[in-house]
Amino acid sequence: MMPIIEVENLVRSFRGRRVLDGLTFSVNKGDTMVIMGGSGCGKSTVLRHLIGSLKPDAGAIRLFGEDIVPMDEAALANTRRRFGVLFQSGALLQSLTLAENVALPIVEHSAQLDPNIIDLMVKMKLEMVGLTGFDQLKPAEISGGMKKRVGLARALALDPELLFSDEPTAGLDPIMVAVVDELTMDLTKKLGMTAVVVTHDMTSAFRIATKMIMLGTGPSQGKIIAAGTPAEIREHESPEVQQFIRGEADGPTPLRMCQADYVERLIGHPRHRRRDFPS
Amino acid sequence: MKAWLRLNRELLHWAVLAPLRGQPWSVAETFRQMILIGVRALPMASLVALSIGLTLAMQSAGEMRKLGAEAFVPDLVTISLLRELGPLLIAVIVIGRSGSAVTAELGTMKVGEEIEALEVMAINPVRFLVVPRFLAMLVMLPALTVFGDCVGIAGGWLVCHFALDYNTAAFILRASDRASAWDLWSGLVKSVVFAWLIITIACQRGLDVEGGAEGVGNATTESVVWSILMMLIANAVLTGFFFFAI
Repeated sequence: MMPIIEVENLVRSFRGRRVLDGLTFSVNKGDTMVIMGGSGCGKSTVLRHLIGSLKPDAGAIRLFGEDIVPMDEAALANTRRRFGVLFQSGALLQSLTLAENVALPIVEHSAQLDPNIIDLMVKMKLEMVGLTGFDQLKPAEISGGMKKRVGLARALALDPELLFSDEPTAGLDPIMVAVVDELTMDLTKKLGMTAVVVTHDMTSAFRIATKMIMLGTGPSQGKIIAAGTPAEIREHESPEVQQFIRGEADGPTPLRMCQADYVERLIGHPRHRRRDFPS
Repeated sequence: MKAWLRLNRELLHWAVLAPLRGQPWSVAETFRQMILIGVRALPMASLVALSIGLTLAMQSAGEMRKLGAEAFVPDLVTISLLRELGPLLIAVIVIGRSGSAVTAELGTMKVGEEIEALEVMAINPVRFLVVPRFLAMLVMLPALTVFGDCVGIAGGWLVCHFALDYNTAAFILRASDRASAWDLWSGLVKSVVFAWLIITIACQRGLDVEGGAEGVGNATTESVVWSILMMLIANAVLTGFFFFAI
């Protein structure tokens, strides 16, 4: 079976700092791929490359078998109609009501639809994320978690073949996390949708994933340090992976620095210390 | 500059060529922007135009009295408003009120990932956001200018009628006799050029915002400063063109 997403040797630097360093992975139809890793490891950057918002320095990104890196605006727009994206902040248009936000992709891409049908579709999508009755509010009038759910409803408005979610469960209460997880699983299992989810919520990750990759920080910045099924990741021998999935403060990823040079770190190196008062 | 030229090229494509190929811009959004940019600016524009009409008449009456040429006050007020002050002052009002608002709005959308979200939904931000604002400005600034001209001339009439004992019929006759249709047209040509400059600069600055709230603030300031500067330069060039070439 041909993979829906194929990423080959993806490289990207920002101001000389290599954030993504030769990533290679693929996602098959119906899979839910979870990308995990610590803050600042480049998870969201990978996602933004996959949706075509950023262009890589090197490498190929094939969606539905076509490389999106050399594509022009029009070709990219055609590919983009086939997937939905949930942004970290929800990214709703503040000037529109929630219903208009969800209706936006439908109105823009299938203008010939009857307004009543569009209205019905919008209500269905809002019902899916548990927000019936909120359709006439503006984004500024609802909470962060609700914005995220509206963002999800908008991403699903055109019944995409592929869904990208950036931290779909951050800021949601535990019940809503379960609802969103179940929604993702339903869509992938029943409708054959493919999902790529960036998250560091481990409960949710192990619940929905069929495949996982973990990006490294520090010396292994921008590289995949573990890849496999949830069961394989759980048993992975790398101490970095184990530290991450167990959520421990101490381990190979240093959070607490050495006590010995604590004072030096605070006041700078002794040779560069200010000399204008006697010691 | 490069970004501004690119925006102009995209505007040409999405405002003129794309509708012919079945990708129209939103008429409803254009009307909504016309209200925001134009109609809401009416009170302020009329106040400014009225005060300028009044001061222009009073100042010129004072000087012309010395020459015994008070009869020429209506000519001066009408012609200077139509040709120069009407388009210029209304454009300044619109820059301060609507140009800055457009930059701040688009900049905030950029910072809030809204522009990126539109692109990812395969909705072109230029077609969706810029074209309605562009068309609204192109219609509303000249409309406001005509309105401002009328209010300004009414201000001139107030001074002539109540302070100079001009009667209304004489004022109207005098003003319409001296001012030609070309005076109005040259002012309108100017205001169309101003509209294009103001809205393209405002949109470009807004879409290129980087770096959070501070970036939005800087972009708004730059948008206002550059709009006023470019408008004054364009005004000088156009006046020179009308003066020497026509």
